[in-house]
Amino acid sequence: MNLLQIRKPSTTFALPFKHRAIGKEKVLISNTEGSFLLLSHEEFRLFAEGTVPRGSEYWKRLAERNFIRGEENRDAMASQLRARKGFLSYGPNLHIVVVTLRCNETCVYCHASRANMDQVQTDMTKEIAEQTVDKILQTTNPHVTLEFQGGEPLVAFEVVKHIIDYALKQNEKAQKQLEFTMVSNLSLMDEEKVAYLVGKKVQICTSIDGPEHIHDKQRRLPQASAHQKATHWIKRINEEYARIGLDPTLYHVEALLTTTREALPQWKEIVDTYVSLGCKALFLRPVDPFGFADKTGHRIEYPRAEYMTFYRDAVDYMLELNKQGVQILERFAAIFLTKILGGEDPNFLDIRSPCGAGIGQIAYNYDGKIFTCDEGRMLHEMGDSTFLIGEVGETSYRELMGHETVRALAIASNLDAQPDCVNCTYQAYCGVCPVHNHKSQGTIFGRMRESTLCAVHKGIQDYLFEKLGSGDPAVVDIFKKWTTVRDRTHFLQSCAV
Amino acid sequence: MPLESLPSDLVSFDDQDGAVHLKVDDGLYPLEAVYAAAYVFIDRCYVLLDKPASGQTRVTLSAKKGTLAGDAARELVGEFSNELLSCAWRSQIARENRATIEAVTAQALSGARGAPSLEELEAFDFSDDAFEDPLGIAMSWEEKYAKKKGDPKATAPTPNDEAATSSVTKPEAGK
Amino acid sequence: MIELRFHRELYDGKSVDEALKIFGPHASFEQAEETAHWIVRLSAADGAREKRVAGELSNYALGLTIAAQAKKLGRAEKTTATAKQEAK
Ligand code: SF4
Repeated sequence: MNLLQIRKPSTTFALPFKHRAIGKEKVLISNTEGSFLLLSHEEFRLFAEGTVPRGSEYWKRLAERNFIRGEENRDAMASQLRARKGFLSYGPNLHIVVVTLRCNETCVYCHASRANMDQVQTDMTKEIAEQTVDKILQTTNPHVTLEFQGGEPLVAFEVVKHIIDYALKQNEKAQKQLEFTMVSNLSLMDEEKVAYLVGKKVQICTSIDGPEHIHDKQRRLPQASAHQKATHWIKRINEEYARIGLDPTLYHVEALLTTTREALPQWKEIVDTYVSLGCKALFLRPVDPFGFADKTGHRIEYPRAEYMTFYRDAVDYMLELNKQGVQILERFAAIFLTKILGGEDPNFLDIRSPCGAGIGQIAYNYDGKIFTCDEGRMLHEMGDSTFLIGEVGETSYRELMGHETVRALAIASNLDAQPDCVNCTYQAYCGVCPVHNHKSQGTIFGRMRESTLCAVHKGIQDYLFEKLGSGDPAVVDIFKKWTTVRDRTHFLQSCAV
Repeated sequence: MPLESLPSDLVSFDDQDGAVHLKVDDGLYPLEAVYAAAYVFIDRCYVLLDKPASGQTRVTLSAKKGTLAGDAARELVGEFSNELLSCAWRSQIARENRATIEAVTAQALSGARGAPSLEELEAFDFSDDAFEDPLGIAMSWEEKYAKKKGDPKATAPTPNDEAATSSVTKPEAGK
Repeated sequence: MIELRFHRELYDGKSVDEALKIFGPHASFEQAEETAHWIVRLSAADGAREKRVAGELSNYALGLTIAAQAKKLGRAEKTTATAKQEAK
């Protein structure tokens, strides 16, 4: 059913809403502040024709969620909107520091535009490291996550240590709630490094591309199995977190998947691998057009419809495992569900409106150059410096935040200004990436109908609402649990290792 | 010549020049949308606008490198049309939602920037220009900052470029 | 020889002039005017070079025109906003 089939649509009954068919049975309606209802076709007809019996249980459900004109609770609407946009009050909390471009692994989809191990000139100097920390601590955000990336940060471990020690010292004055994370392939890890990192409560994130045969094919490590190295250290670091008494729900190695064409039929093996490693979360990220992934795209890319089949199969299986008592969640789902069911924004910088480019995250390259985000930095390494906004020793913090590129990205990623999104039922929960648009469509604004990112976001939300509308209370319970898991999204911002 | 499955009264392909022409109805697409869409393509194509009749704008796109064959021309003009529609709709949305967009942008930027220091206040430029189009809404960022390749300044050949090696007569330009 | 026709309603005259100055060293130019158009005829050593200079010159003139238009629009919107403010 759609609005065209409504006999006498009412222009006065409903407050502005958007609608979308969900499967064959349901119609989803949502409004600006993100309230939603899944209606049967008959309920939708009554709603659209404005003939819902006043005072009925259905009428109350609609009124409570501010769908009926004249019944709206404006204070509730305002506070709901405020809760969803709470992130607007503060500056960047995620600061990605690329301590080197050097990397000892070669990956088919490498995002980071790596350098070979002899390219020591791509290591960050002490001076730039300190200037970077000084800049980071100027953010207006009281929470600061400093994320080490590369290349492979363990290659430049002395720089990592220097930054941590210097940041802790400088933070005595700045008084931020400071967290460190590191994105590493773990192959250069050793006991001494583990002791240092765990001692400083650095949260570690790695990549696992599924079972050993896929992982090792996609991530080449000379004369060793990248998978064996990574899985060994995941277990070892988790033991160490526990040994010093850190809460294992907060402190455990997070692992990420980059979904290549080869991975698509192996959804079950991938989920099983993550479960066997003790991971509680799996992020089914599709490949993106940055870094080497662009050059090797023809070998590893796939149509997004195939990705969505993979996604549905994998998450269906995860739901079955959850029903059997296994705890494993999918990150995309958890991010969207937190917005859909929780009514708040988990501040995942790539899926919010406006996106976090500049105002939510900043990337600092090894040479002191500053970018709106890590994707922007990767494009720079590929020869496109569009998203370069300054240099650590030269550009003031306020100059960075007022930079025209930062302003332009805030406008371009605002879904209230985006064709298609303004009419999309998922607008309140969604986000676009102007850097992705720029790379794939030649414009920061993008055209959502042709955007692979939009296809993924829409496909995932379709799936989630189908599940919510399926009437299976166990699934709804599992989804609710997924929204309560502590937010560790700072790990997940474009973190490809 | 016409291009397969595209309306021949609106789209034509000149295979000698390797250029594709698209006629745009000014009543449907405002000039600012034509400009915005044209700008998105100037890193890939040479773009020329003209007015063959009143109420109509003609967009000519030709490849910067190599020649534009039938399929590529169809794809190019198709993508341009999609972008044009998108720009036209976006400019309408921007007008309608201007208050919300400005409020969110202003909150995001002021939240991120924080208060200025005394030194910054002292150095602040209070001249008129600094306040022109403070949110960059009137002018798209791509128009102003540009993808490097699309920036007209960046595309201007330098005297070392291939084109500059020709023996040229200095024109009396700019009169 | 290639003839470029810049329609006065679409191109800003100063921008066309500016583009001609920039590309001056790369070809020889002749200028003419018609009621609706500024006309630029250009010749270079060979056809390929001519095509390239003509294309780059058109893009450059268009880019500057768009920048000039946007600036004007910004001013106009500012003036309207000020007028509205004052009218209150
Ligand atoms: S990006 Fe796509 S799914 Fe998300 S709001 Fe826009 S149109 Fe909807």
